[in-house]
Amino acid sequence: MQVKTMNLLCHSRKVLSSVLRSSVLLKPAEAFGSICSFSKARCISLSVPQHFTANLTSCQHSHHTASFTGHFDIKRCYSESEESRNSESNGVIEDDSHELDDNSSENSSLSRRSLETFSLDVLVSLLRQENAVDLCVIKVPEQIKYAEYFIVVSGVSPRHLRAMALYAIKVYKFLKKDEDPNVKIEGKDAEDWMCIDFGNMVVHFMLPETREVYELEKLWTLRSYDEQLKSIPTETLPEDFIFDVEVTK
Amino acid sequence: MEFKASICIQTERCFYVYFSYLWNVSAVAAAIQKMTRVRVVDNSSLGNTPYHRPPRVIHVYTKNGVGKVGDRVLLAIKGQKKKALIVGHKMPGERMAPRFDSNNVVLIEDNGNPTGTRIKVPVPTHLRKLEGDYSKVLAIANSFV
Repeated sequence: MQVKTMNLLCHSRKVLSSVLRSSVLLKPAEAFGSICSFSKARCISLSVPQHFTANLTSCQHSHHTASFTGHFDIKRCYSESEESRNSESNGVIEDDSHELDDNSSENSSLSRRSLETFSLDVLVSLLRQENAVDLCVIKVPEQIKYAEYFIVVSGVSPRHLRAMALYAIKVYKFLKKDEDPNVKIEGKDAEDWMCIDFGNMVVHFMLPETREVYELEKLWTLRSYDEQLKSIPTETLPEDFIFDVEVTK
Repeated sequence: MEFKASICIQTERCFYVYFSYLWNVSAVAAAIQKMTRVRVVDNSSLGNTPYHRPPRVIHVYTKNGVGKVGDRVLLAIKGQKKKALIVGHKMPGERMAPRFDSNNVVLIEDNGNPTGTRIKVPVPTHLRKLEGDYSKVLAIANSFV
């Protein structure tokens, strides 16, 4: 039953199955609404063990029109169940897409670790799978030597944020190679704002109210043209200011 | 290459009325310790409303009482206690790390969330490599040094 509905869903989204990855380099004049970038999602397969019913809902709820990466479901299989499960899910795969060969190559568990890296695609797809609300990926320009991608995600409740953060860490740990450093969740005791810094990407999990207060997307897209920055009064020197030059040791 | 800069003198009497921060002349002994006057650099209302006394550090949360960049301190601002994070001090540190002309501090809540929403002053990037929760402060910073 679920297989059929998934099939239908996939067929209806065939049009959308090739989604462009548009990384947005931002100029100050650009409107705020256009900044969110879509990751390249490959509608490879839809495996249907029981705990993947959530994927259906995530498809419907997601704000952005993209299909999630089916191969990622297989990953979830790996982290939670044994190989027999995985072979069962293999049989259920819909051949909706053109990337079946990709599928088969990725199904060898031992070599798969080296094939996949924890990239932006993986992160975005896992966030979508977790029913993340208002996912926003900003490509940070080269001049700002902070990170390459700045991601802001909202959640339904503090528990949802924590679950998303922990799941992201779990997937990262599974996919990382030994030379990659371990990553920790920052702001664990703050229930409304958590961050994870993965080297080239930074993810912020916030509640919608906190997001309204800080407006991180505005800051990171309109760097110095941000409204809150402009409303900070510039410091002026007082009238009786004496300028003297003194050199410290 | 250190960022050396000149220091300006300010008459103490009429300083607090006009200018929100004092530029001091005395040499720096240890970076930030108890009773140092600090400069709050975010746009929080607590840090920016004028008061007849400058914000002072009353406790440094390190093993020795000296605070460097990335350390948490307790400030006394406007008659209340507030935690803060040091984002720059006058004392020279590592060779290729920036040195600031003022002891800069960002106000923080107890759970680590910054009180202000933007930081106009440049923030050092080596905060990222330090152990601790600095991503939030780096996220609201405008310029990096």
